[in-house]
Amino acid sequence: MWGLRSSRTLAVTGALAAFTLLCVLPLAYMLAQAGTAAATHAVLLLDARQRTLLLNTAALGGGTALLATLIGAPLGFVLARVPLRFKPVWRVALAAPLLLPPYVIALAWVYLGGSAGLVAAATGRDLLSGWTYSLPGAVVVLSLVFYPLSMLTTEVALRRIEPRIEEAAFVVAPPGRVLRRITLPLAAPAVGAAALVIFVLAVSEFGVPGLLRVRVFTTEVFTAFAALYDFSRATILTLPLLGLSIVVAAVAALLVGERLLVTRRGATGARPVAFEGWTRRATGAAWCVLAVALVAPLAVLTREAMGVPSVTAIVKGSGEAIRSSLTLAAAGATVASGVAVWIGYARARARRRVGVCADVLLVVLFAVPSTVVGVGLIGVWNRAGVFGRVYGTDGMLLLAYLARFLPVAALALAAGMRYVPASHEEAAAVGGAGWWSTMIHVVLPQVKLALLAAWVVVFILAFGELGASILVAPPGESTLPIRIYTIIANAPAAEVAALALLQTAVVLAPLSLLALGIAIRRPE
Amino acid sequence: MVANVRRAIRAMVAVPLVGVGVVAGCGVQQSSDAPREVSVYVSTDRVFSEPVLREYERRSGVRVNAVYDTEETKSTGLANRLIAEMHRPQADVFWSNEPMRTLVLKSRGVLAPYRSPAAEGIPGALVDPEGEWTGFSARIRVIAYNTTLVKREEAPQSVFDLADERWRGRVAIADPRFGSTSFHVAALYAQVGDAKMDDFFRRLKANEVRVVDGNSVVRDLVARGEVSVGLTDTDDVNVAIENGQPVGMVLPDRDGLGVPVMPNMLSLIANAPHPEEGRRVIDYLLSPDVERMLAASEAVQIPLRAGVPGPRNLPSIDGVRPMTLDYTKAAARVEDVTLRAAGLLGL
Repeated sequence: MWGLRSSRTLAVTGALAAFTLLCVLPLAYMLAQAGTAAATHAVLLLDARQRTLLLNTAALGGGTALLATLIGAPLGFVLARVPLRFKPVWRVALAAPLLLPPYVIALAWVYLGGSAGLVAAATGRDLLSGWTYSLPGAVVVLSLVFYPLSMLTTEVALRRIEPRIEEAAFVVAPPGRVLRRITLPLAAPAVGAAALVIFVLAVSEFGVPGLLRVRVFTTEVFTAFAALYDFSRATILTLPLLGLSIVVAAVAALLVGERLLVTRRGATGARPVAFEGWTRRATGAAWCVLAVALVAPLAVLTREAMGVPSVTAIVKGSGEAIRSSLTLAAAGATVASGVAVWIGYARARARRRVGVCADVLLVVLFAVPSTVVGVGLIGVWNRAGVFGRVYGTDGMLLLAYLARFLPVAALALAAGMRYVPASHEEAAAVGGAGWWSTMIHVVLPQVKLALLAAWVVVFILAFGELGASILVAPPGESTLPIRIYTIIANAPAAEVAALALLQTAVVLAPLSLLALGIAIRRPE
Repeated sequence: MVANVRRAIRAMVAVPLVGVGVVAGCGVQQSSDAPREVSVYVSTDRVFSEPVLREYERRSGVRVNAVYDTEETKSTGLANRLIAEMHRPQADVFWSNEPMRTLVLKSRGVLAPYRSPAAEGIPGALVDPEGEWTGFSARIRVIAYNTTLVKREEAPQSVFDLADERWRGRVAIADPRFGSTSFHVAALYAQVGDAKMDDFFRRLKANEVRVVDGNSVVRDLVARGEVSVGLTDTDDVNVAIENGQPVGMVLPDRDGLGVPVMPNMLSLIANAPHPEEGRRVIDYLLSPDVERMLAASEAVQIPLRAGVPGPRNLPSIDGVRPMTLDYTKAAARVEDVTLRAAGLLGL
């Protein structure tokens, strides 16, 4: 089926061509430009300060990946295995922090823990500001935003484990031991993959470390652009950051390898019921996480926003930006998922060595700072001819979303595709089915959860995108993040809080309704 | 259920094709009878500049496609976009809220000369001899102080006072690598020399100065009493005053170096797609009407022309002795000074 003119070859080649055009070309353009500026190569010889920043970045990424996993993976286990009342509601509520822009959560913690924050005002003593403005503070804030990625991935992985394996273990061992020796090792590859994505998100994050005054390597890249207007220096300085991502991705690939459990069953259906005794403790833990990650920041922001004289004035003029953001993010998520599904398929069916290289490439492309992507997109698309007809239109925002987030969609779908055994395709082929028919009737129905997850993740990330969007948005057009960030420069704290809540509500409301709708149609 | 899955999958298969269609559809060019329009890239805060541009639309019937900037520490901003687009510009006009970015763009060949007849009455020092920029309504770098923590007579009167021992741990400044603070630092280095400025930054560092990511953050820290004093801009302080927060301001170095005045700057973009419309909008923005609008707004921009009424809380430009500054000399040292100050402050 891999013949030159076969359907499979054409579909995968088309997707790879689109991927190269959308994601690889902007970075290649920037590297080619930087490569000709020999004078800037010296910055690759990192000085002591830059090495410290790189270390801080690694600590931020590693700490966030670890803490987010420690919070998210147990919650994923709870959602998959422990009986809870109103579980769909719990799932939506616990996943909600992922929908909040990290900068907004950091802002809430500053209002709470700053030296003139609510805690200081209530106690009369500055107890938290030293902690708030620190590397551990940034790790905690980012972990509270990103833990749902680990939670949802863990839940899906646990639901895919063949129940007979655990049921057999329960015959001879107590639940705790089954959990340690059987369940967790089987879910570990997926948990590790989620931790890797969280690591990359954390090391490429600029807003939270900036607000909490934590010096990381993205600052170096950003300064080369924003203060020195030196594109070559900025691009070259991206390389150590990408090198760090390569190392982490390669280590993860070696540790995780291809150890994914092949299962013949979907992610729904009967679960083993050995953990019903854990319900009370699980409910308590979920309440604690919810209170810290969602209720507290939203309550602080709401309290701060109460000082706004007129909510109408805040919302006024944002309607077009909201519509534009929702439409473009939905289009970006749909196109990204549509292309990524074929890339994910190709990666899942590739030889091990090729697959590992593909994973590393996807991680590295995902880690490229947004400004490098934005300037690269200008270089590639702002020219005479066909490309130039797209430049200066809303299509550039769509291309920016795809350039930044297609790799993460491909990673998610590659992981999903690897759970579908090749033998299913072979059986369909023996039965006379063509490749398209096999994909549509056999393979894709088995990855619909991964497809939905990829769509939602890209939608959320695209909705909050600022760094590349602001460089390529056509004159006269605006997305909601662009509008908010261009307004808050001189806005008082109450208005900033109100705008942050607006951005949160706009993304939270539709996705919550969607999730609840799905939950109602398909109860536990 | 199976039918639903099939429909969903068919839709998903078609998605890449639809996506390409969406992008291509977005790329359809406007017809020749499209309405007149002009593209303006604006780094002056949106809340202040948007009403001014909307007024131009109302008066002229020309559609203004604006691109606004964020604070420089939150995105890399419009100057980078203008540099990246310079081989095929999309903007007609750049309206900057401080001189440094304009001067960088001039050195990169992004700007075109245009001597607007509307610039009459603007002091000659604020008009580029080569015509690539024209200054208008200005802001001033000021020392903000918390009025509940610091009496007016005790507030620092010079920027250099901020390094005094008495303000240890009580001072905030914005990151000197960005925005109006970078302009101020470059101007000070050009004015007083490297040795004195290096010493100033060393003493500031020893004094545990808080370096934050924007002038609005400095204002907020002062307003909340987290620090007693800070270096920021007039428009930032005015927002706090208008909101009833306990913040006052001092125009620094009135008796010494002179007050650091930062004009807005307007430039025509080289090879702009709509040069004639660009010139017209520059003429409008340089008019006394616009200086009046910006003075009356919360931006509290100080008119550069005599006779145009200024903001109520600030002195007129005639009452201020501005720091004399060679803009070209200051701009030539931006990179050197930026890295130098950042190094001394441990950024």
